[in-house]
Parts: sequence; structure tokens; C-alpha cells
Amino acid sequence: MKIFFNQPFSLYIHIPFCKKKCNYCDFYSFAGRENEIDEYVEKLAKDIKRLPDPALGGIGSIKTIYFGGGTPTLLSASNFNYLLSTFNFQLSSLQIEITTECNPGTVDLEKLKALRKLGINRLSIGAQSFNDEHLKALGRIHTAEDIYNTFKWARKAGFKNIGLDLMFALPNQTVEDWKETLRKAVKLSPEHISTYNLKIEENTPFWEMTKPKTQNPNESTNLLIPNEETELEMYEFAIEYLTTNGYKHYEISNFSKPGKECQHNLTYWRNEEYIGIGDGAKSFDPTHLESNKFILGLRLIEGVDLSKDEIKKYENEINEICELGLAELKNSNLKLTRKGIYLANEVFERFV
Amino acid sequence: MQDITKIRNFSIIAHIDHGKSTLADRILEFTKTIDLRQMKDQIMDSMELERERGISIKAKAIRLLYNGYILNLIDTPGHVDFNYEVSRALAACEGAILIVDATQGIEAQTLANAHLAQTNNLKIIPVVNKIDLPNAQLDVVAEELKHVFKIDPSQIIYTSAKEGTGVEDVVNAVIERIPPPKGDETFPLQALIFDSRYDAYRGVIVFVRIMNGKITAGQKVTMMGTSKEFEVQEVGTFKLDLIPKEALTAGEVGYIIANIKIVADAHVGDTITTVTNPATVALAGYKKVKPMVFCGFYPIEGEQYKSLKEALEKLQLNDAALFYEPETSGALGFGFRCGFLGLLHLEIIQERLEREYGLNLIATAPNVVFKVNKTNGKDILIDSPKDLPSPTEILSIEEPYLKVTIFTLSDFVGGVMQATQDKRGTFLNMEYIDPTRVMLSYEIPLSEVIIDFHDLLKSISKGYASMDYEMIGYRETNLEKLDILINEEIVDALSSIVPREKAFYAGKALVEKLRKVIPRQMFDIPIQAAIGGRVVARETVKAMRKNVLQKCYGGDITRKRKLLEKQKEGKKRMKRVGRVDIPQEAFFSVLKAE
Repeated sequence: MKIFFNQPFSLYIHIPFCKKKCNYCDFYSFAGRENEIDEYVEKLAKDIKRLPDPALGGIGSIKTIYFGGGTPTLLSASNFNYLLSTFNFQLSSLQIEITTECNPGTVDLEKLKALRKLGINRLSIGAQSFNDEHLKALGRIHTAEDIYNTFKWARKAGFKNIGLDLMFALPNQTVEDWKETLRKAVKLSPEHISTYNLKIEENTPFWEMTKPKTQNPNESTNLLIPNEETELEMYEFAIEYLTTNGYKHYEISNFSKPGKECQHNLTYWRNEEYIGIGDGAKSFDPTHLESNKFILGLRLIEGVDLSKDEIKKYENEINEICELGLAELKNSNLKLTRKGIYLANEVFERFV
Repeated sequence: MQDITKIRNFSIIAHIDHGKSTLADRILEFTKTIDLRQMKDQIMDSMELERERGISIKAKAIRLLYNGYILNLIDTPGHVDFNYEVSRALAACEGAILIVDATQGIEAQTLANAHLAQTNNLKIIPVVNKIDLPNAQLDVVAEELKHVFKIDPSQIIYTSAKEGTGVEDVVNAVIERIPPPKGDETFPLQALIFDSRYDAYRGVIVFVRIMNGKITAGQKVTMMGTSKEFEVQEVGTFKLDLIPKEALTAGEVGYIIANIKIVADAHVGDTITTVTNPATVALAGYKKVKPMVFCGFYPIEGEQYKSLKEALEKLQLNDAALFYEPETSGALGFGFRCGFLGLLHLEIIQERLEREYGLNLIATAPNVVFKVNKTNGKDILIDSPKDLPSPTEILSIEEPYLKVTIFTLSDFVGGVMQATQDKRGTFLNMEYIDPTRVMLSYEIPLSEVIIDFHDLLKSISKGYASMDYEMIGYRETNLEKLDILINEEIVDALSSIVPREKAFYAGKALVEKLRKVIPRQMFDIPIQAAIGGRVVARETVKAMRKNVLQKCYGGDITRKRKLLEKQKEGKKRMKRVGRVDIPQEAFFSVLKAE
């Protein structure tokens, strides 16, 4: 690894295995290769050992660890143990945020207990929806019941920092369906909620399902995706509902109880350094440092603090987005307005 | 000296897709003019665009040697836009092979080409091609030829160019039936220019038929139409390449290179003669080609203006019919008003500018040249809607009319009549050429024909209709200027001149179309159509309200940047008019709004 880190960094570990590939997923992951997990974990352990020295230097060098996927919880507790014990310091003494993504249907109480004991202190649960029909349409392997169980077990295992991932604008989903999912999520009182607008990506089953049949909306097999107006209504509702229920809207798609922002992800949006290991994982790339500062930083609702030089260099762009009512510049802080949040790509485009 | 009695100059004429290029290939093959190795399919269509569109744009010539005879095959362009060039190519010949598809029968261009050949007193060799096809109707087609052209059925040669059947008979007929050229080598030089092309290394290569006299390198010659003088550097004949020769004499077909810089100095149809012993009269039929259809070309990015100018200059080197002059549009900035022979010519030039010169262009909707009779007694010609004087200054407006000949099956006559009526056509005549096929003729304004008339005709007739046309002059009609306002501002490049009775519907259709092609932006965009300052139709492009990538984490950033770059690129391909980004197709939608 060529990057020499002179500040604490975050570590992302990619686990590309899945029981089944979801219909919307275009991430680097594959189903039916669980027999390769042990071998893969072995490789990851080698990568961890090869991390630059500061990574292994103990307190202050590593900020967060995040297991993402794929489905990291397809790894056994002993796989996790093996990986985490590769670090030559006691993770539990570090007090840093260690997250794993966790899919309902792949964990039980015992496993969650074991993970907690290994020092993992944050769970990001891929709930997506509390509506079984929508879950099925997405190609998820679990039901709403499984989400409730997973959540209950997680609390019981001692997880005090849990996030729920939710998706909206799903095929055949009404605004009312979405409200229902949000209400159920809030009722569980997780520390963190992410809401993602479903996007139909190329090379996914959804793409194939929507592509040829959009000509004929009456086809029964056709995926009825909510239109832009409905998407917006869903998104607006999420913001209103979650913020009135004690969640802070801190990033375009992310909400948390005060102080429970995902520290790992903040690293990305603050354009700070991180290392990714595992197949398909990417590390911090300093190529477009300045431009990325806008594209990533403006995702944070608090905005981004700019230097005088930066303000001068991007004077035209900043003026333009402010005139269009998409952003506000106060002193040295540039942040998106509500309208700008909805039209964030129109803002980002100017900084590419 | 060339034995003139051993020369035959001929063309092949046909409706599009009736097999002209394939038969030409077979003749080249049969006479062993080129060997099979050199044989690319349809060798005489060399330009990439020609291949793609399946048409010959520029006439060419090739010299075949067979049994002691010199057979000069002069290729003709296959599209009505290039009718004048066809007529000059035919003027260089004594005979023509008239191909008719055995499954299609006579079509509009068969008729038009045959008329041109007859006007030039050519001997016609009728050939019925594609006899290998199962649906070939030899008797029906023979009957049509008899009915329409009074051709004796015994004269017809039946061929399958694809399989090589009958090719020898065709070649023999060329020798036996077509008379050798007349002309006298001792007379003053008269060389007919039937084509010319620009070569980056050698300048203009002029394709000529020597009618009288003799031309050799070193001679000083003059173009009788333009009086420009040049010194001949090289003369020769064509095989696949240019084959230099000492002289070209009366009756021969060949080329001349004379340090000519642009093809406009070697007009098709002009006569070349010598300076020292000039001919007293030029050959008949010369006319300066006038563009019939105009449109504006504007670079999307202002910086490309200079490149566009250079590209047009280069294209004009090789295309005397291309006209251009600088034009300024309030909406689009600096560009050029360009003139073309027809819509196909326009499309070809636009494609070449974009493909070969890498330009990103806005083409405004094509229009014809209107004649405005002003109240002050003066007449003006305008080739751009924005030049139309204010209504109070206009006494009347005239527009160019065509005589259009349409061939179709009798089943579709009703539909064709309806379509021509919608296009303001005046019925002239209807004639059955056989029990199922009809020839209709109309007078129709050119402005209606350049839009989508041909496509319309094809769709009405399920493809069983063909058309051809000729200019017949100007007629007074009721026309009005239709303006389009985008975001409350008139976009001059979207203005058009339309018949009064259609103005309202045209305006309505156009704003609807524009609403569909203009992408949503940060604010509501009103689109209005106005006739004489009065708004007659309005649509709104609603503001975009949501465009946000929901997910962006560590590894995503490179991919997300690509998406944003693509979004940005998309906007670059649009023209910003005021605050509104307008895509290229909007400017062309003026003609496809119905």
C-alpha cells in the first residue's frame, strides 16, 4: 500500500459473500460461494498484517473499523475472532467504533453475543422494509419478523448502537406503505436510520425487469416504480418524520440520535483517509481532493468549511448555486438548502 | 489517335435499390477491368457515407476494355437531390442502361432518369434485373416498360446481377446498340465537365467528356461559364486509379488536373476550351447549381466557430453545391447559414461535419428560399425566417413549388391523395401504368416536401410508393411567421415560416414537442408559440425537483464522479439560450412536430 498516513484513519473490510443476490444489488458480491469464506478470511488476515505500521500502532492510529458487504454476518464468530485477533493490539481497549453490517436471517442471539464480545460495538442492520411483500420483491431472504428478532437479540447481546437501513421508492410501494415502514422502524428506537431511494442499476435483475416492459405499463410482470414526485414525497416525509422523532438529519440519507452519527462514514464525507481491504474494496484516493471535498462534504447537512482560497477558486460555482437557492454560504461554511438536498447532483456536477 | 468508332460512353440509371451498383460490379468483373482481389463489393461507391446510405453521391467514371472496344461507364448519383449532376453525367454519354427491378417495376426515379436520358437523346438499353427472385414478374414489368416508355419487349435484357446472369448480353448490347460518340478532333476543344472532386495532393480532378478537339498537358484552358483560366498539368483516364495519358481526344472520357483549388472553379456542366483556339459556343445545359434548402449551423460551444468555418471551407472545396455565409442568431450566437440541394445533401453535410471534423452542432430547421414582394415595390429573397420583414412591409410572399410524380399501388391512392392534400398539393394527373399501379402527379410547395413527405409517403403505402420531383417556380401563398418563446424570450433559431391555415396547429404541435425534448431544469420554463406577436399555444417544462444520489460511501466516489461527469457532459451537448439548456434535437423538432 502506497499511502502513508499521517493522521488516524478508518478501515473498511469487504466481505463479498451472500446467501442470495438481491434484485437491486450491483455491489461486488456473489451468492453460493460460502465454501470459500475460510480461505478469504485467511487472505484478509494477511492484508491486515500488511497494513502500514501506524495501523498496528495502537491507540490513536485507527479511528473506525467497518465490515461491509455482501453479507459480513455470513462469517462465523470464529472467522471474526480470527480477523480481529490479527491486530496486534486489544481492540476492546481502543474504544473505537467497530461496525458490522448484519442481515436478518443470517444471525441468532448466540452469534450476536459472540460478536459483541469480540469488541464489535455497532450493528448496521439491513432491514430495508417492514413489508413482507416488498422484501420479497427486493429479493431479500428475510421477513419483517426476522428484523424484529434480529433487533431484539442485538439489544439482548448488548449492542447499544444499532442502525437500520431502509429503502423507499420500491416497486409497487405507496407513500402510505413507506410511512408504515418508517413508523415501525422508529418504534424500535434504533440509534441510527438510513433511508435510501431505490435506484435501478444496470446489470441487476431489476434492470432487466424494468427495461423491456416499460413500454407497456399494463403488463402484470412489470415493475411499477414510483415516479419522481412520489419519490420526493417519500423522501420529504422521511426527513419530517424522523427529525420530529428525535433523529438528526446529518447526511443526505442518514439520520441519528444525537452523538450517534456513524463515525466510520463521517470519515468518507469529511474527505479523510481510509483504507479498504478485501476484494473490490477501495482506499482513499487523493486524486480529486479539492473537488471531492465539495462533492462529499456537501452531503453533510452541516455543510463544509472552506478556506478563503477555496471560496475564491470556486466563486462562480458557489455564486450560481446560491443564486439558484440550492446552497447557502455563511462566513466560510457552505451548505445545501432543503431544495439543494433534493437536487444535490445539480450542485455536485459543478464541482466535478 | 483514338479510333472513335471503338468508343462507347454509357451510364447505368435506376431507381434506388434496383441493383445498379451490383450490375456495375459484374460488368467490371466480366470485362476483367479489375481482378477479384481488388474487388470490394460495389467498388464504385467509395465514400463511407455512401456505403452506409447505399447511394452514390458523386458521379464517377471507369474505363473498361473489352474485345478492342473502350467502354466508359459513367456512374450517376442515385438521389433526386443530385438531379442536375445526373443530367450532366448523362450528357457525357450516348447511351444508358435502364435497370428495372423485376419485383418492383417502374418507380419514380426510373421515370425521372429515363426522361433525363431521353432529353439527352440517349439510346436506352432496358434491363430487367433480379430475375432470380421468386416474386419476379417479368411479364408485368415488360408490359410496364412498353406502356410507359414504348419499349419493344424484344429489346429487354433479363439479368440477375447478383448471380451474374445476362451480364455478357448487357455488355454486348452496349457495343451493338449504343452509337459511338460523334465529334471531331480537329475542331476547337469542347470538354464537358460532368464531375469534379478535390484531392488534397493534386487539387481538383476534373472529370470530362471531350466533345470536340483535343486536350493535352501544357495547354492553357478556360472555363466558358466562369472565364477562369488554368494550365493543364495532366490528362488521363480512369481505371481504379488515374492513368495518365498524353492526350484526350474527341469522344473520350477522362480527367484533367490543372492546378484548380476548389471544385467551384470546375462547375459541373461547364465547358472547357483552349485559350488560344477557343470554341465559339459552350455546350448546352450549363447552369449554376442553386441551393434549394437552407438551414443554420451553429457550434454548441462558441470556441468551435473557427473550426466550423474551416470545415465548411474544406467541404466546399469538393462540393460546389454547398453554400454558406456567416449568420448571427440572438439565441445561438455566431454560426453559418448554409444552402443545400435538398434535405439529403443537408443531412450528409451535417453528418460529415460532426463525424469527420468532430464538431458539435446545432442545425436549425431547414427552410426554402421565400420571395417577398414588399409594399415599397421591391422584391427580396430570404433564406432565413428571421429575415422576414414585418407584416406591414409585406405585400405578398411567394414560395417555390415542385412538380411531384408519385408511383404507388392503386390500393394506396386514397391515402396518397389525402397526404398530398395535407401538404397543400394541387392534383395534376393520374394514370394507371398497369392494372395495379398508378402514377400520380401534383404540384406541391417545396417547403412541404423537404419536411417529411417522403417518409410519410412510404408509411402510407407500406413502402410501395416512390416519388421524384422537379422545380417549377414560385407561387404566391398565404404564409406567416411562427415564433417560439422559451422562458419569455423569442428564440430566433426556432422561428419558421408556415402557411396561415396551419400556423395555429403547427405552433401547438411545436410547443408540445419542445416540452418533451427540453429536459427539466431548476425552474419552470414556459414555452410559447406566437403568430404576429400573439401567443397561440403554451406549455410548461416543470422544474426538476429531485436529483440526488442517495448513497455515497468510501469506495463509491470514483463511480459517482463518473455519473456526475456524464450528467455534466449531457448539458455540454446542449445550447444555453438565456438561462435554459436546449438540446440539439429541439432545433430540428421544428420540422417533425406534426
